[in-house]
Amino acid sequence: MGLKRHADSTATLHPVEPRDYPRDQAGLLAQLADADAGVRRWAARDLAAHPGAATMLCARLAQERDASVRAVLFSSAAALGGTAVVQAMVQLLRSEDPALRNGAIEVLAHLPAAVAPHIDALLRDGDSDVRIFTVNLLGELHHPQVPRWLQQVLERDEAINVVGAALDVLAEVGGREALPALHAARRRFAGDDYIAFTASLAIDRIEAA
Amino acid sequence: MRAGTLAAPPAITDTDFQKFAEFFYRKTGIHFDDGKRYFVDKRLIERMLATGADNFRAYFVALRFEADGAEMQQLVNCMTVNETYFFREAYQFDCLVNSLLDDVAARKPPGSRIRIWSIPSSTGEEPYSIAIYLLERWARIEQYDVEILSSDIDTTVLKAAERGVYSQRSISHLPPAYLRKYFVQQGDGDYRISRDLVSAVEFSRVNLSEPADTRRFRDIDIIFCRNLLIYFDDLSRRVAAEAMFDTMSPGGFICLGHSESMSRMSSLYTVRRFPDAMVYQKPLEA
Repeated sequence: MGLKRHADSTATLHPVEPRDYPRDQAGLLAQLADADAGVRRWAARDLAAHPGAATMLCARLAQERDASVRAVLFSSAAALGGTAVVQAMVQLLRSEDPALRNGAIEVLAHLPAAVAPHIDALLRDGDSDVRIFTVNLLGELHHPQVPRWLQQVLERDEAINVVGAALDVLAEVGGREALPALHAARRRFAGDDYIAFTASLAIDRIEAA
Repeated sequence: MRAGTLAAPPAITDTDFQKFAEFFYRKTGIHFDDGKRYFVDKRLIERMLATGADNFRAYFVALRFEADGAEMQQLVNCMTVNETYFFREAYQFDCLVNSLLDDVAARKPPGSRIRIWSIPSSTGEEPYSIAIYLLERWARIEQYDVEILSSDIDTTVLKAAERGVYSQRSISHLPPAYLRKYFVQQGDGDYRISRDLVSAVEFSRVNLSEPADTRRFRDIDIIFCRNLLIYFDDLSRRVAAEAMFDTMSPGGFICLGHSESMSRMSSLYTVRRFPDAMVYQKPLEA
C-alpha cells in the first residue's frame, strides 16, 4: 500500500474499450437512448463534433430526464451552433420546463450572431412569457444591438412584466442613450409602483455612472 | 531581404490576431482577448522566426495544414503559462489530508485504490506537493493504494516535471525538514526531487477540450484543477467541467483555484464545505 509507483503497472490509465455502438454520428445518436446515463453523456459530448446531428441532438433534450446528460446536450448544442440549434432553442423558450428554458437561454447567449436575426420576432411574440425570456436572454447576450432591443421593449410592449424585466436588464447594461426610453416607460405606466421604482432605479444608476 | 538593410520583424495585424485567436480557441479552448495581445503577438513572432515564416499568413497556413501537429504543440507550449511552486494554496492540501481522503476512504475498504488527478501538472510542483502531503500528513496512507496522475497540454513542462529539478524560488514554501528529506541540492544550487516521488506520479499529455484525451481517465476520486480554467471562456469551462465529471467516481471531489467557482461553470457538482476549504463534489448517486 502507500503511493503506487506507476512503473509497477502499465495499466493505470483506462484503455479505450471496444464499444457496443460505433462512434460515428449514427452510433452516437443511438447511444442517446441508452439506459446508462454515463453512456448518454459521452455520446452527447462526442456529438459536438458532428454538425449534422444538431437537430436530433436538440430534439433529445425534451426526452432526456437526467440533469447531467441534459447539461452536456446543451453544451454540445452551444458548441455546434448554427441555424438548426438556434431554431431548436427558440422553440424551447416555449417549454413548460424551466430547466429547458434556462438551458436554451444559456445556449442562445453563446450564439449572438446566429440569434440576432430572431430577436425582433421574439420580442413581438404573442406570448408574454416568451417575450420575458427573450429579455432575459438579452441580459446575457453580447451583441451591440442589445440596448436598442431593450429600448424597443420599453417603448412598445404593453405587458408590465415584460417592461419590468427590460428595466432590470437596462439598469445593468444601459447607457445614457437609454434615458429617454426609461423616462417614457415611467410615464407610460405612471400608475404602476413597480415600474416607477425600477425605472427610477435604472435612471439613477445610469445618471450616477 | 535586400543587402544592406535589416529585416523588420514580422508584424501581426488586428485581423491576424482575431484569426489566430479563433483558431487557437477551437483547438484548445483557451481564449485570448485583446488584453492578451502583447503576450500573444510576442510568442507568435518568436515561432514565426523559429520556423522561417516570412509573414503571419505563411506561418498560419503551415500551422493549419501540417501533418504531424509538431508546430501546433510548440505553439501551445509557448502560449500556456506555467508559474507555480511547491505547497501553493496549501489550504487545499490541508483539506485533502484532513477531510477529503477520509471521506473517500469511508466508501472504500482498506486495500483498495484511491486515484488523484492533478491538472495542469505544469513542471510538477503540484503533484509532488500532493505526494509529499500524503506521505507526511495522511495517517492511513499505508492502508490504501494511492495513484497520482498528472497531466498538462504542454509537453515541455511534462518533461521538466519528470526531470524534477527546481529553483530556490520553487521550493521556498517547503518546510526545511521536507526539503532535506525529499530533495538533494545540486552543484548549481537547484534542487533535484527524490526519484521515489518521481516514480509515484504518472504524467501524461491531456487537452481538456479534447474528448478523446479525457476518455482514458476513469474512477478519479479527487481532482486538483487549479488556475487553469481561468484561461478558458465560458463555454469551454463548462465543457471541461462536464468532461471532468465523467472521469470521476461518484462522490469524487474537485478542487479549483481560489478565484474560480464551479457554480459559475456547471450545475453538475454540489458544494462541500470542510474546515480547511470549500470544494466541489460529484453527487454520490451520479
